[in-house]
Amino acid sequence: MLARIFEASGLSTVIVTMMPYWSERIGAPRTLAVEFPLGHPIGWPGDREMQMTVCRAAVQLLEEAAGPGEIRHLEGLTWPQDPDEARRDWQPPEPAPIIRLIRERLRALREAQEGSSGGPR
Amino acid sequence: MPVDSFRFFPRSLATWVQQLEVPPEGPVPWTPLPRPVRECRFALVTTAGLYVKGLEPPFDLEREARQPTWGDPSFRRIPRDVRQEQIGVSHFHINPRDILQDLNVALPIQRFLELAWEGVIGSLTETHYSFMGYQGYPADLSGWRQGYGPQVASLMKAEGVDCVLITPV
Repeated sequence: MLARIFEASGLSTVIVTMMPYWSERIGAPRTLAVEFPLGHPIGWPGDREMQMTVCRAAVQLLEEAAGPGEIRHLEGLTWPQDPDEARRDWQPPEPAPIIRLIRERLRALREAQEGSSGGPR
Repeated sequence: MPVDSFRFFPRSLATWVQQLEVPPEGPVPWTPLPRPVRECRFALVTTAGLYVKGLEPPFDLEREARQPTWGDPSFRRIPRDVRQEQIGVSHFHINPRDILQDLNVALPIQRFLELAWEGVIGSLTETHYSFMGYQGYPADLSGWRQGYGPQVASLMKAEGVDCVLITPV
């Protein structure tokens, strides 16, 4: 959405994202997709080489894209962490308030359903 | 191989994201590069909830905690010469540890300064920006669309910016 706003105002934009899913659905001017965990669009902390590879690829896409909507998938970089560990690691230490709220509502719904069916057997 | 957006997602979260409705947005805007990239001035914009301690307050997580279906649509300025220890992260939905260790993970100021020194880009502008990526449930993008997004666009253009790198988290 921010890319669309900036591009419409006369700026040339490129998004670097771990979730090209959203560019596919909303439509973005230029997207570089990276297979990294959430919170890490440019790469591993302290890894200058990885970060420069991502930044160079983003600038190159800006230069080469011929028209709106291109999504380029950056290959050749492997996230240096076990996938299960990475899956746990990017998540916040505590669940976000909306996650807590949804869990409470689901729990209340389940309890109401169990109550109306006479309780667990 | 195409990037899998959900590779590092717990399955329940992936399911939830994939059922979110995405309203149609219309044709994709397009601004061709005004000049070769090696002559362009760049700005960096992220949605990592960054702020500079002592300069501006964090994003309003107190209100989000009271009203979990709301997210702060405002923005914060990140000067080019910011030091790592000045950076704060106010974002309930990610682990801030790696950004607090290395700002470049989300806002690659040092990396783009190096690209400017190499002559790959023309220059890196003075002021960069952070938004906070959670905009409510269901998402309400009106704050970005009608207010803060155009405001940041104007600020960047006033600094002579040609190109913007955007790093959602």
